[in-house]
Amino acid sequence: MGTRILAVEDDERIRTAVKLALEDEGWIVDEAASGEEAVVLFLREPADVVLIDIMLPGIDGFELCRTIRRSSDVPIVMVTARADTHDVVAGLEAGADDYLTKPFAPKELSARIRALLRRARPAHPAHPKLVFGDLEIIPDEGKVVRAGTEIHLTKTEFRLLCELAQNPGRVFSREQLLDHVWGYGYFGDGRLVDVHVRRLRTKVEVDPANPRHVVTVRGLGYRLQA
Amino acid sequence: MKTVTRSHTPRRVRTFGLRTRILSTFGLGSLALSTFLALSTYNFTRSNLVEERESSAIVKAQQDADRLRNDLESNPTSVQSAIERLGAERPLVYFRGTWTGDDARFSSTAIPTSMLDAVLDRREPSVMRTEVDGELVVLIGIPLTSVDGAYFEFPTIDDVRSTLNSVGLALIFAAGITTLIGIVLGAIAASRAVRPLVAASQAAQAIAGGRLDTRLEESNDPDLSALTASFNEMAAALESRVERDTRFTSDVSHELRSPLQTLKASVEVMQARRDEMPERAQAALDLLVADVARFQGLVEDLLEISRFDAGAIKLVIEELLVGEFVRQAVSISSAAETPVRIAENAHDLVIKGDRRRLARVIANLIDNGRSYGGGDMIVSVFAPDDEEPPTQVWITVDDHGPGVAPSERELIFERFARGGVAGRRSGSEGAGLGLALVSEHVRLHRGRVWVDDRPDGLEGARFVIELPAERA
Repeated sequence: MGTRILAVEDDERIRTAVKLALEDEGWIVDEAASGEEAVVLFLREPADVVLIDIMLPGIDGFELCRTIRRSSDVPIVMVTARADTHDVVAGLEAGADDYLTKPFAPKELSARIRALLRRARPAHPAHPKLVFGDLEIIPDEGKVVRAGTEIHLTKTEFRLLCELAQNPGRVFSREQLLDHVWGYGYFGDGRLVDVHVRRLRTKVEVDPANPRHVVTVRGLGYRLQA
Repeated sequence: MKTVTRSHTPRRVRTFGLRTRILSTFGLGSLALSTFLALSTYNFTRSNLVEERESSAIVKAQQDADRLRNDLESNPTSVQSAIERLGAERPLVYFRGTWTGDDARFSSTAIPTSMLDAVLDRREPSVMRTEVDGELVVLIGIPLTSVDGAYFEFPTIDDVRSTLNSVGLALIFAAGITTLIGIVLGAIAASRAVRPLVAASQAAQAIAGGRLDTRLEESNDPDLSALTASFNEMAAALESRVERDTRFTSDVSHELRSPLQTLKASVEVMQARRDEMPERAQAALDLLVADVARFQGLVEDLLEISRFDAGAIKLVIEELLVGEFVRQAVSISSAAETPVRIAENAHDLVIKGDRRRLARVIANLIDNGRSYGGGDMIVSVFAPDDEEPPTQVWITVDDHGPGVAPSERELIFERFARGGVAGRRSGSEGAGLGLALVSEHVRLHRGRVWVDDRPDGLEGARFVIELPAERA
């Protein structure tokens, strides 16, 4: 069965045109015209990727994002009007994995989706189990355990953690993380990394305000340590 | 005040400034006043002094004449001894046809004939001021009718002259000081008078520079409050108008995004089936694809420009290795294969800038070169002078087009200024905002951008971006 994309967009013409273009790329597209409809659809038949326009009537895109996140780690791509507003950070904090600004090229969206759906675990893990103090990562099973309790990460958060875990102690720059985790080149948006690191910390750190594992190296990037 | 609706040359007519006018009014006024006062004081002093001396001299001469007459009446032979007994100052006696005096300078020849006539013939007493031998004297002539003679006296009032000289000098000095004080007061008054104007001009400059919320301080001065109030009203009106325009531009470009999204997706669907289309439909599709892209560029440029106008640009400043950055920026531009030459002296230069916005600057210059320049381009990165360590870096884009005429080199950075050369240039792809955005972005990065001839003598234009840089 093919990959299902749930496209949530209130403008019918946009929805139709994007569906046509995405179907050309080989995806199966479900449409929802509102957040409410999307929730119902998603509960009935979970999609593999959700595309959400932030500007929705009724339940807005942020709320929809949070609602889906409560029950699923499905990759979410949101569509914003502008890249330089707070919308981007707010959307990422609500749980989105990536964003595009309107008008986007469906081909570009497909590339983003493919990057998000890549295998989460590293191709050749050095060890079946990586241990950082009270934190255990089992890449093959996609599992993270902290102090004996399994914690839930989204696919992107898990990939980010594995990326950092591959070379413990090494500092990864934002550009490297953007490239390896999201498949962006030199001009990716560093806020993707920053917000995901923030989200990751709330899950893997005992005290997210004073992180012990995912550490910021000022001016350089991030590092994972025990 | 003159109302200037639009002035291209701010200093067209050379007139004296307000400051100069106030200063010269004060200076000339105090000069005139002090001169007038000095002159009248001088004249008053002079007439007072001279008249006082004159009248006392007359009284004395009268007394001398009376004593002499008495003496001559009793002893008419010895004029000489009578004069000696008299002890008067420079006496001269005419008695029985002969002149007798005690000073050769003050003889009958020193007496003007008009006075001789009056005293000797008409027997009238007479007084006049005259100069004898360079000395100012009061010449007093008194007829001695009873003895058929006349008595003259030459009391000096030369000391009055020196007194008057001192007074005159003092007055000139005082007038000078007064004038100076007037000038100083004038300067103070001028600067006080000009101060609100300076404040207004600074405020106007601030507004012109984009700080639209600038206002003048409210003033209690009734003469100034009108100016302040109308200036602030104007600034408020301007601000709200600019805001309205900016919001409009921003709203328009937002509204255009939705149809653009439909267009973009639909065009992509059609492009995927391009090969199945008849030739004419293919040609039409190609046009559609190109112009949807151009439309999107225009909408994005408009939005960015409206952000500039609203002052809402927030740069995300990072340290960028300039050579690497330019290479990357060119690689995502519309002419990704354009060669990038990074000079030896620029290899480790770092700039502080907004990565995505500066990439846009380079992309815009490359778009411009592609649309208007024609031919292959070359992008170069180098430190422009031998300064060590370098403080600036130049990023240049050279094209093979017809170049830009000197008269148009500033114009082309204006919005929608495609220039009079549009006809000569091939294509019409320029969105008309690209170079304006380049200029705004570079300015925000404390740099400069300009266009020149290609330095290697080949035909073409060179666009230069100058940015502050330092060694890593």
